[in-house]
Amino acid sequence: MTVEEASNLKLKVKTLANDVQSISSDFTQYKHLDFLDNDIKSAGKLAFKAPDLVKWGYETPFKYAIIFKENKIYINDEGNKSNIDIGRSKLFKQLNSLIISSVKGDMFDEEKFTINYYKIDNTSVVHFSPKDEKLAKFIKTFHIKFNEAADVVEVKMIESSEDYTKIIFTNKVLNQPIDEAVFNN
Amino acid sequence: MKRFLIISISFLFFTCASYPKKHNFEEIETSNTLLNPYFSDANKDYVYKATITIYDKVFGGIFIVKKIELDHHRVVFTTEMGNKILDFTFNKGAFEVNFILEDLNRKLLVKLLKKDFKVLISENLVPQATYKNKKELVSQTFIDHDAYFYFGTPIIHKIVRTNRGKEKVVFTFSEISDNIAQQIQIQHLNIKFKMLLKSIN
Repeated sequence: MTVEEASNLKLKVKTLANDVQSISSDFTQYKHLDFLDNDIKSAGKLAFKAPDLVKWGYETPFKYAIIFKENKIYINDEGNKSNIDIGRSKLFKQLNSLIISSVKGDMFDEEKFTINYYKIDNTSVVHFSPKDEKLAKFIKTFHIKFNEAADVVEVKMIESSEDYTKIIFTNKVLNQPIDEAVFNN
Repeated sequence: MKRFLIISISFLFFTCASYPKKHNFEEIETSNTLLNPYFSDANKDYVYKATITIYDKVFGGIFIVKKIELDHHRVVFTTEMGNKILDFTFNKGAFEVNFILEDLNRKLLVKLLKKDFKVLISENLVPQATYKNKKELVSQTFIDHDAYFYFGTPIIHKIVRTNRGKEKVVFTFSEISDNIAQQIQIQHLNIKFKMLLKSIN
């Protein structure tokens, strides 16, 4: 990708991300572990409401919801509800803010990431490598794939071992009202 | 005094009695081998939804086992969102921690998990003795010097780790078909630790 193309993409993503008030989308997650014959596939629905409400609702092959809300993580594991206070955990705070940023695609912070731009067919792929060592131990690089409208269609989180988690978004709808109750556990 | 001594000696004898004696197992002569088939197929990825209860805290995750070759397994635990929590290799007698979250990297916890997971993946075992109880055959064997009793030979549905004749950890396998246990439970009896695994593939 040329410098000009990269700069255009960054501007488009930032503009779109700033305008996003809500996202609802289906997602399919593939967990790739090098030693397995097949990736572990799970699927569900994502809901995001600005500024910082996120819910990942897994529907297959298990029912599981994880909600990020006001410095807490709420979990509903097949009916068993629990919550975790992330107020004091720097790593969880970083992860939470990364999840929100990656869903919107807006991770263009050169202080926090080494950023590389690529063009593959008609899609743009940007690699974000965390500079924070502790975070890098957890996730070495984020690969975010954008469509022509600069919207995120795929997030791939690669661990230092090269194993990765890939999330593909489908039926993504932006800025449609989402009931706050969706984020209740 | 004499009566007290008899009671004390009887009590001592009972509490120190071996596990088979306590449970009225009858030892039998057999040439049976002991095979744990539940993680023995190298062509299969074993993936379970896990729920771990430690004291009053409950954690979920995905438990993954892969047999790489004979006596060589990878055991990985991730969050539902895919973040790796731990990654162990058991290769012939050797054990290696490939990854573990810093917060969980505690010697005692790693030792406990290593012991439990080793039981799950130990495939060909040599029975030291075989017993008969009212319902089934029970084979006794040793893994790393701990005594284990395998219930239900040839289709194992329970493994018990014992120490001085007492049950310490109970592994139960249920909804078994084609050498796959759809549900596995590991219950520690001396600490509040329980792991429930439900097959999801």
